[in-house]
Amino acid sequence: MQKLLTPRRTILKSAGLAAGALAMPNIIRSARAQEKVVNVWTYANFIPDDFKAKFENDTGIRIQIRLVDDQGKAFNLLTAEQPNPSVDILTIAGHRFSQFITSGLLEAIDTDRLSNWNIINPVYRDSDWILIDGQKWGVPILAGAEGLAYNTEVVTPEEAESWDVMFDPKYEGQTAYIIQDFMSVTMLYLGYDGNMVEYKDDPEKAKAVVAEARDFLIKHKSQVRKFYDGGAEVQQMFINQDIVLAQAWSGPISKLIMDGFPVALTIPKPGSYGFVYNFNIAKNAPNADNAYQLLNAILGSPEVGTAMTRSSGYLSTIDGAADGLNDLERRASSLSQEELSRLTFFNTEADQLKYSLVDPAVEEIKAA
Amino acid sequence: MATTSERTGNDAALIRPQDGTRGFWTRLTGNPAYQRASDLLLSSDRRRFWLLAVPALIWMFGTHLGPILTMIRISFLDSYPPTAGRVPDVTLENYLLFFQAPNYITPFVRTFVYSTCYTLLTLSLMYPIAYFLAKKLRPSRQMLFLLLLLVPFWVGEIVRTYAIMILLGNRGFLNIVLMGLGLTSRPIPFMYTGFSLGMGLVYLTSLYMLLPLYASLEKIPRNYLEAAADLGAGSWTRFRRVTLPLSKDGIASGCVLVFLISTGYYATPVLLGGPSTTVFAETIAGFFHVAGDKWPEGAAFSTIMLLASLVTVGLFLRLLGRRRGSLLG
Amino acid sequence: MMRPSQIALTTFYWAFIVYLFLPLALMVVMGFKDSNFIGFPINAWTTRWYVQVFQDTAVLQAFGYTLLISIASTALSLVIGTWCAVFLGPARFWGRALVFAVMCLPAVIPGVISAISMRIFIRAIGLDPGTGAIILGLTIHNVPFVALMVLSRLGAIPRSQVEAARDLGADSLVAFLRVTLPFLFPSLLGASIFCMLLSFDDFVRAFFLGGYQPTLPVLIFAELRSGMSPAINAISTVVLVVTAALGLWAERGTRRLKGTRS
Repeated sequence: MQKLLTPRRTILKSAGLAAGALAMPNIIRSARAQEKVVNVWTYANFIPDDFKAKFENDTGIRIQIRLVDDQGKAFNLLTAEQPNPSVDILTIAGHRFSQFITSGLLEAIDTDRLSNWNIINPVYRDSDWILIDGQKWGVPILAGAEGLAYNTEVVTPEEAESWDVMFDPKYEGQTAYIIQDFMSVTMLYLGYDGNMVEYKDDPEKAKAVVAEARDFLIKHKSQVRKFYDGGAEVQQMFINQDIVLAQAWSGPISKLIMDGFPVALTIPKPGSYGFVYNFNIAKNAPNADNAYQLLNAILGSPEVGTAMTRSSGYLSTIDGAADGLNDLERRASSLSQEELSRLTFFNTEADQLKYSLVDPAVEEIKAA
Repeated sequence: MATTSERTGNDAALIRPQDGTRGFWTRLTGNPAYQRASDLLLSSDRRRFWLLAVPALIWMFGTHLGPILTMIRISFLDSYPPTAGRVPDVTLENYLLFFQAPNYITPFVRTFVYSTCYTLLTLSLMYPIAYFLAKKLRPSRQMLFLLLLLVPFWVGEIVRTYAIMILLGNRGFLNIVLMGLGLTSRPIPFMYTGFSLGMGLVYLTSLYMLLPLYASLEKIPRNYLEAAADLGAGSWTRFRRVTLPLSKDGIASGCVLVFLISTGYYATPVLLGGPSTTVFAETIAGFFHVAGDKWPEGAAFSTIMLLASLVTVGLFLRLLGRRRGSLLG
Repeated sequence: MMRPSQIALTTFYWAFIVYLFLPLALMVVMGFKDSNFIGFPINAWTTRWYVQVFQDTAVLQAFGYTLLISIASTALSLVIGTWCAVFLGPARFWGRALVFAVMCLPAVIPGVISAISMRIFIRAIGLDPGTGAIILGLTIHNVPFVALMVLSRLGAIPRSQVEAARDLGADSLVAFLRVTLPFLFPSLLGASIFCMLLSFDDFVRAFFLGGYQPTLPVLIFAELRSGMSPAINAISTVVLVVTAALGLWAERGTRRLKGTRS
């Protein structure tokens, strides 16, 4: 057995050398002396390489990107790093602002420092969710919606006009949804305010509303094939034909449409909720000046918006960005005027109350 | 043992004859500095014990306990991450929450039932394979066959899980084959059931069972079995009376590993399980992922799970009646 | 000529291999699909995903970085794990069960929690997130596995061999290095494969403890956000082929070496 040692050592050594050689450029780069940087936590392919190279060339500020795949993780990571975060800019959806702000993780945006601020579509830059305590908390980049996705070979557009179809026995065991998100939609479907702002001062009413939505979903649990978590899952379920209907974020579904898969996304009656991804500046960001410079450059370059839409399937908040998309991409990522009119934005005002009731309800639905 | 130091002087002479590469060991043991160090550190059982104990205990209590104590501390706070400008209070609420709500106990119990099942399932699947590798193959082939079993694990858990999805989906490979053969006219829903979950989890646990089993079976000397055969024992008797008892160590550590690890599995159950198979790790992760500011509850629930799984393993080892001197004294 | 039991075992082994490799075969095939998503039916084929793997410096760097981290943490885990096992194996003292439990702890804690508490812990000890922190995190996670595997073999070491070495005048260190360690070799080999696998596939520790250089799993998770694409399958396939080739090379080297010596 001892004889085994020799080749193994050689292997480890050569493997180590190979690994070292591959990792070398990074080791050298991180060893380079103090230089101007901006640290960004964002999703893969959001900042195109061409743009990055040009920005670095023009300004001498190096963009360091840390790939994040989930906002919950970003929150946990940032929390663990406080009070001296390593990040300047991070990517957060508007309906999660309050969670980050109450934990003291974000800095409000000084729009005066962004000369390109007005390029953002006013629907997003002037909406109410962005304004908390009289300050604006993010630079909107992408807009999405909680929609109804359906396989067009099985479900007709007429059926998909209302959320009713999710509870139609015809599709028993062929639907999927994200429970937390669908709770809001269900409340709206049952005639209540899914944001729960109306019940902010009436905890009893709030309790009753959540209980009703919860019981409704438990009653119809046999409709569900799967409670899912992420975009990639719902895409795969449609491709594998495990489901034909789902509550889904618009982005992942429009990516499927762009790929030519027979699926469609709609905002059914009585409506649904929309959300906006933002670039935010972290509290105590080490390079805040560079961060503003980068944000301004991003707003001034529609091609970044195009790249983000292409990568995520969500709609860019900058009007010019859609020009870079082809027809299919544009069709896949946009909604009709009528559908848009059924959309309200998620509002975080009553989140504390809402999630104190919704989180246990989610566990009960799962356990039922 | 007290004579060790007296003996060191003669080491060189005694070691040389059986040693082809005489240089290194002879020179090492003959070196005065080494002898002094050896006298100081190795000359008695007690010293040897402390020499081994001190670094090991520093490592374990420093690095193993440090993060866990952090977790336990958080589990007693009423808010963490701390809200700006407010010192969190100490509370037991987070633990009480577990006992108050039945919807947390269900996944908890489920986790333990599932983990026990997976452990037994994995054991019954991997024992024949480990036995085949260790006892039925020429030693020169063992490594190759073992490596063949290990190859798939170089594919990350997530990518592998998605591959299982396109294997088992309604329009997956398996259903295409079954329908092509005319065995079924409608796709069979394999996904999001106990079947898909079991399939994915055995994939994850098999390795943890295989290696300890193989290691323990491999070291059973062949001549034991030959001797038993000479004494007229049939193959079943040989297996039951010789092989099985001698591989008990491997079975125990394999089962402990698989059980402990499968209680903590999160990603695969979430991706492959159905709407009614929530496991406790998923509940815990929910406190961190979905409702990001509920670390104390998550930490408290983790502590509960940790204690429960350690107690289970302790009982299991006791039940196995392990003799002192092996895994757990 | 084979006995029934032999045939049954051989069949069982190969059936299990089929179970293990079927998803992998699908993964390899999907890497050739000309689409942004994996799954059936496959309407068009392409090799571009595989070509891209070798052109994408981010992927190559992530692969190298992950390999480096895995090797470093494996080496550390082997030393520390064996040390702990050798200490705990024969020792008899009050509170041994407690120490044993402490040793096993890191293996039991769910990944998310262990990673987050590690993140808070490294700040407490003044270690910056990055390569060192990931290696430490992985090592802590791996040590129990090494120790358990070594312990299970340590229990079976023939006393007579160690005694014989002692009688020949070897002190305990020399006896350990020349008798015990070689005897432990199979479990060390198993443990090192184990640690490599655990470290190579680890996402959650790399994510929370790492810096701006992504490991391969972190990169794959980020790519997954826009869907499970054939590109990810191609990356995994290439990693699989490279590691399988390394393994086979090691195995052949071993056999050749054995052949020439005996």
